[in-house]
Amino acid sequence: MADIDLGRLVIRAFDIKSVSWGDEMKVTPQGEMIISKSMLPDLVSSMDTIEAVDIRLIQPDEHDQWTNTILDIIPISTKALGVVGEGITHTLTGVCAMITAVDTEGKQCHEFGSSEGNLKEKIIFDNPGTPHSTDVIISFDVTLKAGMGQERKGPYQAHLLCDRFLQVYREQMKNFDGKLCSARNEFHNISRPGKKRVVIIREVAGQGAMYDMQLFPHEPSGVEGGRSIIDMGNMPILVTPNEYRDGILHSMQ
Amino acid sequence: MGVGPSAKETSLHHFRDPLLDLFSSDEDIDLLGIILFGSSDKYSEKILTSTRAAIWAQGMRADGAVIFCEGSGNNHVDFANACEQLGRRGIAVAGLTVIGKNGQFVVTNDYMNDNIIDVCKSKGSVEPCIIGENNLSNDDCKKALAILKIKMNKAKEARNLS
Amino acid sequence: MGIGPSTKETSMHHFRDPLLDVVSADEDIDLLGIILVGSPDGNADKLLVGTRAAIWAQGMRADGAIISADGWGNSHVDYANTCEQLGKRGIPAAGLAFHGKNGKFVVTNAYLDAIVDICKNKDGIESNVLGENNMNVKDCRKALAMLKLKMRKSDAERGN
Repeated sequence: MADIDLGRLVIRAFDIKSVSWGDEMKVTPQGEMIISKSMLPDLVSSMDTIEAVDIRLIQPDEHDQWTNTILDIIPISTKALGVVGEGITHTLTGVCAMITAVDTEGKQCHEFGSSEGNLKEKIIFDNPGTPHSTDVIISFDVTLKAGMGQERKGPYQAHLLCDRFLQVYREQMKNFDGKLCSARNEFHNISRPGKKRVVIIREVAGQGAMYDMQLFPHEPSGVEGGRSIIDMGNMPILVTPNEYRDGILHSMQ
Repeated sequence: MGVGPSAKETSLHHFRDPLLDLFSSDEDIDLLGIILFGSSDKYSEKILTSTRAAIWAQGMRADGAVIFCEGSGNNHVDFANACEQLGRRGIAVAGLTVIGKNGQFVVTNDYMNDNIIDVCKSKGSVEPCIIGENNLSNDDCKKALAILKIKMNKAKEARNLS
Repeated sequence: MGIGPSTKETSMHHFRDPLLDVVSADEDIDLLGIILVGSPDGNADKLLVGTRAAIWAQGMRADGAIISADGWGNSHVDYANTCEQLGKRGIPAAGLAFHGKNGKFVVTNAYLDAIVDICKNKDGIESNVLGENNMNVKDCRKALAMLKLKMRKSDAERGN
């Protein structure tokens, strides 16, 4: 029997060539990204578990520096058309976001083993889950209030703060002219009737604090609008291949 | 809105569910399972949960789905979206719910035409507040199964033509 | 228990997931979807959610499942149970999990015969280095090959 196409997802990648400091928050399809810390004070004051946040731009030749324990590495993507898992996604390559966290007492935000230390020794670069060695890393170094690194709300708000910051860039990326993308990938959910029916089962974090998984966010790999698998009783949820590869889940680990 | 006494399904009703009896005993049918999803309070959650149900049915490679909605009014928002999300995915749908005179659909779409069965039994225009009066009957379920079989055959023919 | 930096799967990992790439690209496979299941704290909950996942897979009439564990130690309790629940339902399962020296199974059963150890660290430990002990394409290909073999065996036993 012939294959059946159950749905299409297009991911357009826009390669970022320079990430620099400036007075405004701006990203262009030609590959220029400007970072400003101007919205950080308002973001910090809106989160009751967060004491302070600093952003560092880590260029590819600057890996020899201290990092607090790493909560997540996040692709910067947005929906240009449709919802997560279908339609068109715009994503940035050459750059990614990183969240690190420690509390005011100096306690690293971790569950079982933490990765603070010299960045170049604490990441295996060029793995699927880690930055390319040529990427610019936008590092969100969060200082949580005392003890908040071990409560669910602390790491959640660290992720949410980063998400809201990135949303400013996502809004600009939605309007990028698709013709200017540096790469275009098309993915199909294919049903192959008569072939072996296989399901992937992924056991994911569900025990609390940073050991959590956010599902169904509004934006790919986002936080806002999503819900925690803990709040859903850790019950199994099915997602399609395209939903998964578009970023319908966000690691809170 | 919501569920009145006449449409309320008791635990005993679930224990003796006529829909399950019929569908599980029909030898033309491979009954994959029963998907339960809650009808939320919030609109955005209604859309989310009913869409997830349809996505799961597609992952199960279901040829058809019979969908039952307890109650009417705002519960029909989820119901209508589930019908639409299933239909858009090429899954044949038959639906069962209370319509009667006071339960007219608050929303509707292209996937709810000749495939929805009204399980209302009461004659008046108001919720009669009698336990069990507007519950699913065996006849309702048989109608739904017949409609679903026709829809599945049509879908199969359409696939073979394309 | 739980998860350390070297086995942590970042949002970026899910975006570029090698397991999904390998399985969805295989033309002998009809990939029905990805079931995400949390790893809860309490033992009763662990058994419940893993069993629900296996029941879903059976409802989907899956011929096979590939299961990945998140972390190790107490997470392996869910993992071992889910493999068993799949196996008992006649669904062959292959898996990917971190073992090394640290992460031997804390529980075991008859259905854990096709698990790929994704440990990359030379000393077999949780090294606290982000990404070091993540699954790679080779691990995923191995797991898929093991699954295909198990599915073939199960066909033979059923007389197909």
